[in-house]
Amino acid sequence: MKIIVAIKQVPGPDAQVRIDATGKWIEESDLQFALNESDAYALEEALQLKEKHGGEVIVVSAGPERVGTTIREALAKGADRAIQIACDDLGTRDALGVSRLLAAAIKTENPDLILTGLQSEDLGLGQTGVIVAELLGLPHATLILHVEVLDGAGTQAQIKVKRELEEGWFQTIELPTPAVLTIQSGGNKLRYATLMGIKRAKTKEVRQLTAAELGVDSAPVVLLEQVSMPQRKKSTQMLPGNAQEAATALVEKLKFEVRVL
Amino acid sequence: MILVLPTLAEPQHFSLFEKLLFAGLAVASGYGFWRQFGKILDKILQSKKDPSFRLFPLGKRIWEFFWEVLCQAKVVRERPLPGLAHAFVFWAFCAFALVTLNHCAVVLGIGFLSPRGQFARFYFYFVAAFALSCAVGILGLFVRRFFIRPKWLGEKLSYQSGAIALLIFVLMATYLASFFVTDASLTARTLWWLHTLALLGFLPLIPHSKHLHLVLSPATVFLSRGGFAQIPPLSGDEDFGLVAGTDLTRLVSLQAYSCVECGRCTEHCPAANTGKLLNPKEIVLGLRGYLNDLGPASEEPLLGKYNAQEAVFQCTTCGACEFQCPVGIEHVPILVGLRRGAVNTGVWEDQHGAKLFLALERGSNALGLSPTERDKFIEKQALPLFDGTQEYCLWLGCMGGYDPKGREIVADFARVMNYLGTSYGVLRKEKCTGDPVRRLGNDLLFQQLAEANLEALAQNKVKKIVSICPHCVRTIQEDWKEYGTPPEVEHHSEFLARYADRLPKQINDENIVFHDPCYLGRYRNVYDQPRTVAALAGNLVEAPRNRERSFCCGAGGGLAFLGEETGERVSHNRAAELVATGAQTIAAACPFCNTMFRDALAATGEGAPELVDIAQLAARGLPASGGS
Repeated sequence: MKIIVAIKQVPGPDAQVRIDATGKWIEESDLQFALNESDAYALEEALQLKEKHGGEVIVVSAGPERVGTTIREALAKGADRAIQIACDDLGTRDALGVSRLLAAAIKTENPDLILTGLQSEDLGLGQTGVIVAELLGLPHATLILHVEVLDGAGTQAQIKVKRELEEGWFQTIELPTPAVLTIQSGGNKLRYATLMGIKRAKTKEVRQLTAAELGVDSAPVVLLEQVSMPQRKKSTQMLPGNAQEAATALVEKLKFEVRVL
Repeated sequence: MILVLPTLAEPQHFSLFEKLLFAGLAVASGYGFWRQFGKILDKILQSKKDPSFRLFPLGKRIWEFFWEVLCQAKVVRERPLPGLAHAFVFWAFCAFALVTLNHCAVVLGIGFLSPRGQFARFYFYFVAAFALSCAVGILGLFVRRFFIRPKWLGEKLSYQSGAIALLIFVLMATYLASFFVTDASLTARTLWWLHTLALLGFLPLIPHSKHLHLVLSPATVFLSRGGFAQIPPLSGDEDFGLVAGTDLTRLVSLQAYSCVECGRCTEHCPAANTGKLLNPKEIVLGLRGYLNDLGPASEEPLLGKYNAQEAVFQCTTCGACEFQCPVGIEHVPILVGLRRGAVNTGVWEDQHGAKLFLALERGSNALGLSPTERDKFIEKQALPLFDGTQEYCLWLGCMGGYDPKGREIVADFARVMNYLGTSYGVLRKEKCTGDPVRRLGNDLLFQQLAEANLEALAQNKVKKIVSICPHCVRTIQEDWKEYGTPPEVEHHSEFLARYADRLPKQINDENIVFHDPCYLGRYRNVYDQPRTVAALAGNLVEAPRNRERSFCCGAGGGLAFLGEETGERVSHNRAAELVATGAQTIAAACPFCNTMFRDALAATGEGAPELVDIAQLAARGLPASGGS
């Protein structure tokens, strides 16, 4: 099975985020970066599928030079090779632009399965995997915890996937491959990076690509106007009455006080 | 009345037949010895070299050889009566050197110690004293092994040991008896031959048994790694620790073959004493069995048939085993080496271990908490920030920064430092020193943490560190050396003891029992300073297992972060002992010991003694001013 895992390098979980001088993105200079959490679960699922069914796991990531560290971490955990797409100013790009880059790179590989994380820890759009599926004309499923391969491991194989819905409900779907799946956190126990893995990663191939080489226009159609820190205000109002009355009062407040409707 | 002392009888004339018989037996005996010993020597020499071993400086090695081998210091000190008996047996062996040489020379007609000569007469009596004490000693050891049967010697009775004891006894008895017969008598000749047969029978038995230590252990003691619980650096890209036979180094092989199976290591092991699978003696013998069966060129995993992975991960790295070993076996690097082999290759699958590793891969502390928690603590306590101008950097560590009890210790220590007018500051950001991952064998993570920390300390211009945690102190001072030059570091007990005369002493009749932390006591040799500090607040009483025999709290070796233990909890075992001293207060000097005992004492219920750190005891006497 040839599995591609799209990974993103995001500011680490302990990052103290500050807005930069332009007010349009965050100050990156003193941040620690790490592999996006749900992408780590996507990688884990891919590695487990490889261990079970054989094949190859390729990670692909778009970003500035520093994503090389995260790519090496993925190689150390067991991915076989990587594709790095040079892409500065990820903060100015939108999901469509990034997805175009990823889809173009993925197309050259002809994989059986494409896994992405459910959403990123910084922008949290949750769209990249879905857009990639659309651009590649492939079926997709989101919120996946587990993947089961049904018949053999060739391109006509069916897979059965378990989706996590709300309130403790799960849904199982079967779909053909190739397909795109966006993976939810928590489905597996993650493996730790080992010294042996890192040493082996040194000799694994990292193919470098640029937007020009991919022949893709990745200019954003959605522009980020401004990024600001949320105002910390705390006030709790208990809405009286039964569910109907409380709901009515709530809608009024959301419309006229908070003004989000 | 003239006292006529007997002289040693030596047959003066041996027939040609006797000479040939002796020569034949001696050659056979020597061959029997060499055939087996040569094999073992080969296995040791074929093992890979220890790349970080430095023979020089020789001074310490020569001293240890003199003190521990020749004077049998550790043998006697840690198990007095049996140790003394063994010392007599050993000294007799040494004293007998010339006697044995002469004994063999006599049959060939070239005896050089004539019993009538001045020197010889004195020497033979000198040796007779040793022979007597040896005979008594070996008899006592025989009784101990076969009748008293202490459990540390193992379940199975060793008949081989019985046979050796018999031979030694015969050697001594035949020697002593020779004083009471005449040269020309048949008895003298019989005694001579009995002595010879015992001697020539003994020699080939040596390499086939644990008595190989006669030959190897002086070398093993002399060739120690140089430090206590010293973990050697990995060498080269293919070294992941002790994975298979090919990873066993010469030092490890030498040590495996030196084991005398005395069980002192197991006797003091916290895991072995609380019903766990781990038995340090069996770890060493497991390696020996591997080497005997498969040799040092085998690729078969060391953890499998010969040693269990489960056992290896029950070790708290307390070092009691290594400290007790009279023949110089260094258990801690062996255990950590076996762990490295499992962790660096990803073979170790443990959900708590993985959680710890992932927490430190992504975050800054072993507890998996956000560093803003530490920031809030610093702000709340109004701890000064280190800006490069202060004398000390107060290192909080994971426990001092994030654990509630650890924070109390830091707060009180800061109060004392304020009172003393010490110039200090805390770093804005700290990463875990890496102690738990180092002891668990994760070299990738440890390297990342050590290098990141060393760089941060250099950037912040830190020259001196004081820490409340012996694990941090050890890791910073010793383990970080592999990746750079750490700043000076000391434990807060060493700091406080220096200023003890300036700290107010409280007069009361409270009994305080101090628990020696493994990483402060055995690892750092610091026993008196924390007692000096604790004594400021009451009367010191001692636990039965104290100082270098202190019983571990159970947290070390990364075990505080792993899951539930099997058998009795180590912390409960030790807490019960401390409570039984009747002291009103238990004084700790390590935030991990503190946390483990807090748990254990909660299980004790009503009437449990108070548990405090020595910093808290020191702070008690301070005036309750608002300026802290």
